Parts: sequence; C-alpha cells; structure tokens
Amino acid sequence: MVSYVIRDEVEKYNRNGVNALQLDPALNRLFTAGRDSIIRIWSVNQHKQDPYIASMEHHTDWVNDIVLCCNGKTLISASSDTTVKVWNAHKGFCMSTLRTHKDYVKALAYAKDKELVASAGLDRQIFLWDVNTLTALTASNNTVTTSSLSGNKDSIYSLAMNQMGTVIVSGSTEKVLRVWDPRTCAKLMKLKGHTDNVKALLLNRDGTQMELDRSADPPPALWVATTKSSVNKWTLKGIHNFRASGDYDNDCTNPIPPLCTQPDQVIKGGASIIQCHILNDKRHILTKDTNNNVAYWDVLKACKVEDLGKVDFEEEIKKRFKMVYVPNWFSVDLKTGMLTITLDESDCFAAWVSAKDAGFSSPDGSDPKLNLGGLLLQALLEYWPRTHTNPMDEEENEINHVNGEQENRVQKGNGYFQVPPHTPVIFGEAGGRTLFRLLCRDSGGETESMLLNETVPQWVIDITVDKNMPKFNKIPFYLQPHSSSGAKTLKKDRLSASDMLQVRKVMEHVYEKIINLDNESQTTSSSNNEKAGEQEKEEDIAVLAEEKIELLCQDQVLDPNMDLRTVKHFIWKSGGDLTLHYRQKST
Amino acid sequence: MATARGSGAGIPGRGAAGPRSAPSGSKWRLVCACVCVCAPGTMPGVLPGDSARASPSKKNRLSLKLFQKKEAKRVLDFVEAQENEAKGAELRGAEIDQVVPAAQPPSLVSCEKKDNMLPFVGLNNLGNTCYLNSILQVLYFCPGFKTGVKHLYNIISKKRESLKDEGEQKAEKGSCKEDPLASYELICSLHSLILSVEQLQASFLLNPEKYTDELATQPRRLLNTLRELNPMYEGYLQHDAQEVLQCILGNIQESCQLLKKEELNKLPVEEPAAKLEEKPNQNSESNGSVSPAEEEDPTLSRHGGDAAKEKLLKANGKRKSDAEGGNAKKKSKVSKEQIAPEENQRQTRSKRKATGEKMENQTDAIAKCSGDSESAKPTQKKSRLRLNWLKSSCRQPSILSKFYSLGKLTTNLGSKEPGKEYDCEFEESAVKCENGDSKEEYHEPASPVESHHGKGTEKEPKKEGTELAVFELVEKLFQGQLVLRTRCLECECFTERREDFQDISVPVQEDELSKSEESSEKPKTEMKTLKWAISQFASVERIVGEDKYFCENCHHYTEAERSLLFDKMPEVITIHLKCFAASGLEFDCYGGLSKINTPLLTPLRLSLEEWSTRPTNDTYGLFAVVMHSGITISSGHYTASVKVTDLQSLELDRGNFLPEPGYAALQPEPLTEEEARAVAEDYDDGEVSFRLSGAAPPGKVLSKKNMEAVGLLGGQKSKADCELCASKQANPEKLLSVAPEPRGEPSAQPRAEQGEPPGLGANGLENKALYVLQSLKEYEGKWLLFDDSEVKVTEEKDFLNSLSPTSSSTSTPYLLFYKKIVE
Repeated sequence: MVSYVIRDEVEKYNRNGVNALQLDPALNRLFTAGRDSIIRIWSVNQHKQDPYIASMEHHTDWVNDIVLCCNGKTLISASSDTTVKVWNAHKGFCMSTLRTHKDYVKALAYAKDKELVASAGLDRQIFLWDVNTLTALTASNNTVTTSSLSGNKDSIYSLAMNQMGTVIVSGSTEKVLRVWDPRTCAKLMKLKGHTDNVKALLLNRDGTQMELDRSADPPPALWVATTKSSVNKWTLKGIHNFRASGDYDNDCTNPIPPLCTQPDQVIKGGASIIQCHILNDKRHILTKDTNNNVAYWDVLKACKVEDLGKVDFEEEIKKRFKMVYVPNWFSVDLKTGMLTITLDESDCFAAWVSAKDAGFSSPDGSDPKLNLGGLLLQALLEYWPRTHTNPMDEEENEINHVNGEQENRVQKGNGYFQVPPHTPVIFGEAGGRTLFRLLCRDSGGETESMLLNETVPQWVIDITVDKNMPKFNKIPFYLQPHSSSGAKTLKKDRLSASDMLQVRKVMEHVYEKIINLDNESQTTSSSNNEKAGEQEKEEDIAVLAEEKIELLCQDQVLDPNMDLRTVKHFIWKSGGDLTLHYRQKST
Repeated sequence: MATARGSGAGIPGRGAAGPRSAPSGSKWRLVCACVCVCAPGTMPGVLPGDSARASPSKKNRLSLKLFQKKEAKRVLDFVEAQENEAKGAELRGAEIDQVVPAAQPPSLVSCEKKDNMLPFVGLNNLGNTCYLNSILQVLYFCPGFKTGVKHLYNIISKKRESLKDEGEQKAEKGSCKEDPLASYELICSLHSLILSVEQLQASFLLNPEKYTDELATQPRRLLNTLRELNPMYEGYLQHDAQEVLQCILGNIQESCQLLKKEELNKLPVEEPAAKLEEKPNQNSESNGSVSPAEEEDPTLSRHGGDAAKEKLLKANGKRKSDAEGGNAKKKSKVSKEQIAPEENQRQTRSKRKATGEKMENQTDAIAKCSGDSESAKPTQKKSRLRLNWLKSSCRQPSILSKFYSLGKLTTNLGSKEPGKEYDCEFEESAVKCENGDSKEEYHEPASPVESHHGKGTEKEPKKEGTELAVFELVEKLFQGQLVLRTRCLECECFTERREDFQDISVPVQEDELSKSEESSEKPKTEMKTLKWAISQFASVERIVGEDKYFCENCHHYTEAERSLLFDKMPEVITIHLKCFAASGLEFDCYGGLSKINTPLLTPLRLSLEEWSTRPTNDTYGLFAVVMHSGITISSGHYTASVKVTDLQSLELDRGNFLPEPGYAALQPEPLTEEEARAVAEDYDDGEVSFRLSGAAPPGKVLSKKNMEAVGLLGGQKSKADCELCASKQANPEKLLSVAPEPRGEPSAQPRAEQGEPPGLGANGLENKALYVLQSLKEYEGKWLLFDDSEVKVTEEKDFLNSLSPTSSSTSTPYLLFYKKIVE
C-alpha cells in the first residue's frame, strides 16, 4: 500500500481531536498530540500573538499519548500506527521509532525518578523502556532491549506508573486493573470492580493510591483537550477544593457546577474533514469539514483546487456530476481529518484516461492514454534517484539539444504533473501498518533513498523504476445490427477493445468493416474508381460514419464521445457482456 | 423413520432450522433441530378407515361400544360429546342447570377416589406427534393464549358469516370465498382443540365416574392443518418441537395480520367485494409460496425476508444506518461511491480488502452499482453478504428464523400507518359497543361471547366489537425485541439494530473454542447455569485485532463492542436450549451433530435485567418445560411439564367457556362447506367411526354435529336432552335437518332463544365454574407432566429433581417457558 496525505505544507492547527497534552513548565511550552497524527509545540505565553511554534510530524495515524521526559528534553509518543517514537522535544525531530507493538499503542506511563517509560496498547502488551537507552539510539545502533509485562487478556486503554517506578497499573476492556512491579515484572494484583473500559488512570507518588483527587495541591491552570481540535486553558487560581475527574475528555458527566465558563486561553484548532465524495472522474474529491466548508480537491496533483465555502454538500455533488465512468483506483481515508489517499496494488492501475480528457496536453498534440495510478506513483517518487536511472542516457542526449529545464522535469516525473514536494508519502503493509513515511521531496536523500530500496513494493518499482506501464483494460462486447434496420443478425462475434475506446471508433469500425463491406460486395466491379479517393476517404471516415450510422445500447442512441466503459456503466447497467446495436441513420 | 427424515422430508426440516441457528451458532456450531420419535404403537389411520363408511346406526353402535369399553385413547368423540353435553345442558334450560350443581358433590368425591385420574386432558399421540402435543400443552397453559385464540376465532366466525352472506349475494364469487378462511384454519383448529380439552375436563370433573382410564383428546384437526401449512409435517416423522412452535406462532401471527387488515378495510366502508377477492388470493399465494420455500431452501425465504426488510429500511431513510448494525455491508468500491457517503465506510479492514478484490470483477461491480441499485440481484447479494457477516460475528440471536422472517414480511405488508389510523377509527367504532375494554388488556379474559352469555362470568366481558390488541396475540405474548448494539470503544458512540424475537437460543455447553481460550480461568466441570447460557447469548463480543470496526464518527478502524440487549420483553419468554453440538463425525447423516445431555441449572425465577436496555423489575417464573428424552438428535420423545398456576385466570377462561355453550353451538362451524368437506375427510380418518354419522352430510361435520351427538353420550342428566340427542343420532336425516337450523340463523336469533336460559342458568353456571375451580385448586403449584395422553402430577421439588443434572441423563429440558410474574 502506498498512501499520501493531501495537506498544507505547514499544518498550523490541530485538525482533529486532541488526545494528549504535555506541558513543559520550564520553557512554557505545551505539546499537543492528536488524531491528525501531528504533535505540535505551542507557546503558552499568553501575550504571544500566534502560539504555534512547530510541528513534529512522523506518525501516520492518531497519536494517542505523549509523555515528556528528561526534564522536557525528550518526548515519547504512542500512536495508532503501532509505533512508539522518541523525539527531541527541544528541536522537534524524531530520533527513533519503536515497532514492538502489533496494534494501536494507546497509552504511555512515565516514572520520573527512573526515567522509565511504559507503553501499552490494543495488542495487550506492555513494554518498559529505559529513556536513557532510547535517546542513545541512532540509525546504526538501533537495538533496544525491553521487558514486557504480560497477563492482560484484553486491549489496554490506559496505563499509569508511579513516579518512583515501583508500581504500574493497566486499565483495559477486561474491566480489571492489573498491577505489576516494573522492577521485577511480577504481577502484584488484580483490582476488580469497574464495569466498563478503563480509559484513564493516575497513581500517586508512591503508588499506594489511585490518585484521582488533586485537592491537596491544585495546579495553577488546567489545559483541557477534547475531541474537538482546540485546546483550552482554564485558570484554577483561587479555586479551592478543586477536584478533577479522572478522564479529561468527558467532563459532562461531572455534576459539579462549572467553575469557570470562559477559558483563559485557547489554542485554536482547525477544521477536520468529515465527509468526502469522490467524483466520477475519479480524480476530484468534494469534502466537507467540521465548519461545514466544502472544498474541491485534485487527487492527482495532491492539492486543494478550490474552497467552495459553506455551500450545500449534496447540491455540490449533484452539480459536479459528470456522466463518465472511470474505474476506481484509490481509496480515501479521513482518520486524520485530512485526505489520505491510498493506492493498493489490486486496483491502482485500473484507471486509464485520455490525456485530453484529463486536461493534459502533450507537446506533439497527440492524445496518449494515461494511467492515473501509474502517473501518480511516478510523481510521488519523482525525487527518488532510482526512478531516474534508466532513462539517464537518453536524458543526457536530449539535454544537449533541447531545453534542459523542461526536459529534466519530464524525465524525472511523469511528464504531466507533480505533487507538492511536502506531500507525505507512506509505505505500508497490506494490513495497514506503516513501514516508512517520508516527504515526497526527501526521497532524494541518502538515507531515505536507501530505506526506499527496502520498502518500495515491487509493483511500484515496476512502474516507477522499470517504467513498465500496465496493460489497458479490455472490455468485451458484441456488435449487432439493430432490429429496426432489418439486417439479419450476424454471427455473434465477441469483440474486445480498450475500455476507454470511444463510441466514435466503434462507429468507424462498423462503417468501414460491416456496412462498407456489404456495399463493396454488392458493387465489386464498379468500385475501382473509388480506390483513388481512398486516402481522402479514410480521413473522412469518422465524419462519414457519424453522418450515416448510429450506435445504440439498450435502445438508447450513444454519444460518439462516450467511451465503452461509460456506456457499460451508465447505459448497459447489467451484468454480462455489453451489446451494442448499430443502424443507419434514418434520414 | 429416522432415516426417512434424514434423507427425505428431514432435510427440509433440518434445513429450516439451519438459518435460525446459523447466525447464532457459527461459533457454537450448534443446531437447534430436535426431533422426536414416539412409540409407534398409536399409528393413526389404523383404526378408523374400515368402519368409516359404515351405516350410521352401526357407527353409533360402534361408538357406544367404544365408549363402554372406555377406550379412552380414542377419546375425541367423547370430547365432542362432552362438549355437546355441556352445551346441551345449558341450552336446554333450567332443568339441566339445576341438575348439574346437584351432580357436583358426588362427582367430586368420585374424583378424589380415583387418584390415578387427573382432571387434566392429555393429547393422544397420532404417530410421532409428541413434538406437537408437548407444544400444544404448553400453549394451552400460556396465560392469555386460550382467550386470545377464542377471541380470534370469534372474529373469524363473524367474518365467515358475513362472507357467506356476501357469497350468497354474489354467486360468482363462490370460488374465492373460502380462501381467506382457509388461512385462518390454524386458529380454528386450535380453538376446537381448546374447546374439546376444556369440555373434556369439565365433563370429567362433573362426571368422573365416566372415565376410568385417562383423559385425552386428539389434536387431529390441528395436525392436518399443520400439514396443509407445511408439507414437512406430512407423514408421521419426528419433528422439532421448537420448529413446530414457531410454525404455529408464525401462522397465528400471519393470520392476525390478515384479520387486522381486513378489519381495517371493513371499518371505513363496507368491505368492497373486489378487495375481498384480492386478499384471499394474496393469502393463498403467500401461504403457498412461503411454506414450500421454507421447505426447500429456508435460506432463500430468509433472503426474501431480508431483502424486503432491507428495502423497507432503505425507504425509511433514518434507519438506514442502524440497519447495517455496524459492519454489515460489504460493497464494492464502485457501489460505495454510488451510494450515499454515509454508507461508505462501515467496513472492517478485511472487508475493505475484500472489496478491492471484488473490483477485479468489473462486470459485477458495474452490475451492482448500476441504476438505482435496487434491482433484485444486488439486493439479494447484499443480504447474502449480510448473512455471511452474521455468521462471522458468531453470536447472534436465533431470531432470524424462517418464521420470523415470514412474520416480518407480513408486518411490512401491513405497515404500521394504517394500524394507527385504524386505532383512531376503531376508537370511534368502539364507542358504539358500550364498554370497550382497554386494548392492552387483550390477554385478560375478555370474552368474545355476546353479552347475553357474559352474565354468568365475573368479568362481564360484554364487548362485542373486536379489539385491536387481539391481533397482536403472538406479538404481545411471545415476541420481544432485541437490540444489537455496536459501540465504538474509542468515541463510545453506538449504533443499534433492533430485531424481534420469539425465542432465544442459548447454549448448554461451553463451546470448544472458547473452552480452550479460557481454560485457565474456570474449571470445565463447573455446572452451567441458565444465567450463564443467557449471558452467552447476550454476551458482549469485541471487534478487535485485524478486523476492527470502522467507526463512522471516528473515521477510523477502532475496537468495538457488540452486545445484545433485551429491549422489549414479551409476556412469555421462550428459551430454546441448543442441546446439540458438532460431534465431529463427518459421515453422520445429521451433519455431525450429536445431542448434549449436559443439563443446565434451571432457576424457577428469572430476571433479565442484566441484559436489558433499561432497568426493569420484571421477573419471570418458569411455568412450562418441554423435555426431550433420547440420546441422539434423530430421535427421542418430547414431554411437556406445566406448572399449575394462576388457576384464577385459567378458571376465568373456563368460566367464560362454561356458560358459553349456546354460543358455541352457534359458532361451531369452523369451516365453510367445501372446506369442511375437505377437512372432514382428513379429519375423520383418524377418528372413531361414531363421528361419521354426523359427517355423512359433509357440511356439518364438526363440533355442532358432534355436540348433538354428545348430548347422547352425556345425556344422563336430562331426559329431554337425551331424547333429543338420541333421536338425532338415530336418524341422521333428522339430524341434518336439525343441525342447519342454528347454524344457518344469524347469531342473533339463537341468542334470543337463549335469552332466558342463561338468565336462569346463571347460578348454575357460576356454581359449576366455581366447582371446577375448586376441584382444580388442589393442583395449584404442582407440576403436570404431559406425556402425550398420559398426565401425571408432581410436586415442584420432584419436578426440579427431574430437571436437575443428577437425574436421568438422556431426558433434558429443550424449551423453557417463563412467564412474567405479576407482583
């Protein structure tokens, strides 16, 4: 699977629900992590106009939890892409990725005194990590030992460890809290009593109490993130007997009257896409976001084409309906609140279109057939040197006599379009686990290039490196004289043509091979003269054919511009092989 | 016999059970079909035929002889006789009524003397019909069932009369007028069986000295009706008790829908003849088509049902998403795009993959998304896919049985809106009939009897008009609703799908898979309780791992919990114990299934609150159990145990009945003439010849004629009565001339006739009812074991012992019936 995300180069606002927050009081920085897969660093200095500082992007799925360790130097994140990542929190880059989990990683726990971090997830596993070892990892020294705590029978949704690192507790759908000693990895006990999934846990310092009560020492302020994308700061100054409920995203269950009604500071969130519709051309997508704004996107160019504002989504879909049929060749995913387009080997090459239809002109004025999936893969990997190696010789030659700049681009990419260089490209397993994520433009880098060698699947290599274009889709069909023409039914020959063959071409075929043959056989002797005009006639054949005959499907006269797959999809509509009827135009 | 079932009719039978169990059973791999065999000693058809066509006088003699011999096993005639006797007594004036109470004390004494005779009526085995007998006994004792059937029967007979009138007016419609009534035949059969049981019981209580062997009647007419409904029941093969229950309930439900519809049509305008004509045809069509379909390919009929359901849901936009119940839909991407976006995404990952593969078959995809995607083919495909889904999700309710889907279909036909309209209109019309009982109280012994007769009963159910509620007999009594709730563990949003159920199928044994999974936790030897079984049925299933749930709210594959909750509970909860498990013997002709004899700890009281959508204080008490004894699934014997409770309400029914004979005498033609003829032939072949004296003129075969005849049998009370009856019997022609009289008259006239006697007889009737009640009182709280014609009584603790695990290993509970306990 190859996926890419259509997005702005800088995604300044949380696009989707925020799952986790960490505050670095020393630097007055807030870390947010959420469903848009991006960890963002914010300044909580209220006087700053724009609190956004930086994004930490490497995850490809929801970030479920983050912890700030080593006095704010290191950030560890857990994500539904099944990885745990170690970040340099000050500089905001990813230092290493831990792939031991087999399912979404839902929770992290941190023992400050020991710089010990535990991660747990839906794979029922808990792994213990020594942060100091993690931060020492490099690309070459990337092995890390971990101890795992087993015993959970169900997916783990929450995890807590005391500051001293002597007790660790997991909460899961099992409705049992399991307790271990992380030093010995020994099971200590099970705590029963919950009747539903335990989603949040907190331990006091020595691990003797499940701490859900902060009344002793209320923090000066509380940052609250919800499934909305904005994050609010609530002042707690002057509030006594403050009690915070255990789960931060479900405060409506708390019967206590609101302490404050206005947040002290708001980190504004962005809108996330909640609805999308792929148009019939299988290239453009209409989306609607949480603010009810509708937008129009181009999948090929991986960009937004137009903001349509708050228009009626369904109306817009109707308005942009085109009676053309192009097979599916990608799927769309909205989990991050942005468009993620995924190409899968099974259908990626299904869609061929004519360059003209797609709005691409070729220099020589011809109308080549383009494979959308193929072109897109080429565009996504256009910076990867391996994709340029083969045509190198030709390129050198051509650069010599033709305009270098122009020609260079053609040789690198697909010759028709590019995707924005900041586009994240994700290679994943068939099941969905991410193998490798990089930005489009980075594929030229040495490390990335090497990693690509390992991760790019063969079917992508075939088209990007070896330039083996996939075969056209053939569509079988039958041609019969229309019953009204009175002609006797011919032997039922099964014809086959490219599924994007235009009806016009079939008409030419009919005119030339069937009707004219009939005529010729009748007038064999007298047709010698016409041979001279044959050249001329050939050019006119299309015109003549259109003048003289028409094609029907299901008794509906076909537009010569329609292609066979569109006829099959919109007019034939049924199973079995497409059958077309021809007849001579009545007048 | 067993083999015959296995190879021939048996396949449809088991097949029919398949779809019901499949959804619930894929994990459990259990099958619900349970088949019974009985000692073939009482093969029907052996006795009746020869004497059947003999001369009337001879027949009479024969019957009398039989009577004298106390050949109680073929007792139906006597039943009818008693019926008549009772009625005759009522009808024929004060004299009798005075006699009856007088007769009570001695009879009570004699009853006590013969402690081997119980005042409860068994059902003769007509050849492997214990599956039916056991179910009928349970139904008989279901609170409200008898009354409901009587009420329905009343409506039907009124309809019949009006039809007849119409038929006379329009001769050309003669051909179709029977059809609608034919579809009510099951109710009529049930009614006549209930009557005969009640009458036999009453007769026994009043004159116990006449009975020395056992009290039993033959459910022959009902069996014949059943065979008409579903050819599966032809012959004398063993069948599954639960299936027959579903068949009966399904049919009643269907008939109720029809009746209701017709009732609706009648109200606004005088029923137009044209409609009448159509409806019958529809009925017969649906009857005809559904049952063979069930027979041959139950899945097919289910698909039909599903498809219809789906269409309905489609039309009903807001439930669209609910209907999917989560990941139900697998569609090709093509169709995905064609259809509204909200439908797009509910897929698990693997399904999505599957979609991709499907794409390769382009034609298919095209076909699917073509047009408005409502063509039959895609629809069917969808439902088939859904079926797969149901299978894969392991634990589903067994509610998707064939009859369920059949019922569903009819529900759809008789859509709710007209029902509502009807409600109002009906209210108006109800104003006319003085005191309309509340519609919810349908199960109260609201007697269908005309007000004249009502005087004798405490309740005074005077209402003449029909109550809407009565049409919901099955729904109210047996049908509950389940909610299949899928909750995303991430956002905790859930989607719900509702499904009706008439029984719940629960496992009796932990299935192999989960056993191995959880082996460490619990010792395997631990006795399973019913509670455990229900929690298995309603257990929470997690959608985790590779095949996560696509949450529409999260736009992501998330873990989810799928649970089954009871949303609406019926009066009677039927629990079907899946006593059969895969034995692993591939070559077994029963699909490698063997019976599990592991018993389940069965409580007397049950609360389903734990699995309900809302808190409820309802408790249910065990009142009937159908037991299956036998070590294989291919054969065995069914018995029914019923707890004698709520005698008060039972006796109220009885009270209704007792003063009713005049009325019953008017009503009894359950059939139009042609039908009667047809049924008469069938019906009589198993009967003692005596019956046939009346049957010779085909029109009046049934109760009426026999009632006349009964007069003779029971005729010791009043000379006049005796004479009357005797003369009738002696002279069939005379009988003929007499019989049509009451029948032919519009009901009003006989009523007028009776106007006096009931007044006079009220005391006597009340006494009689009271007496009957008292004599039954001693059985309150005890359990009756109905083993075909044999009835035994046990104390509760003994009964529990028989259910308990330590006792007999091959006799295990198969169906448990709990009724709501009114605090």
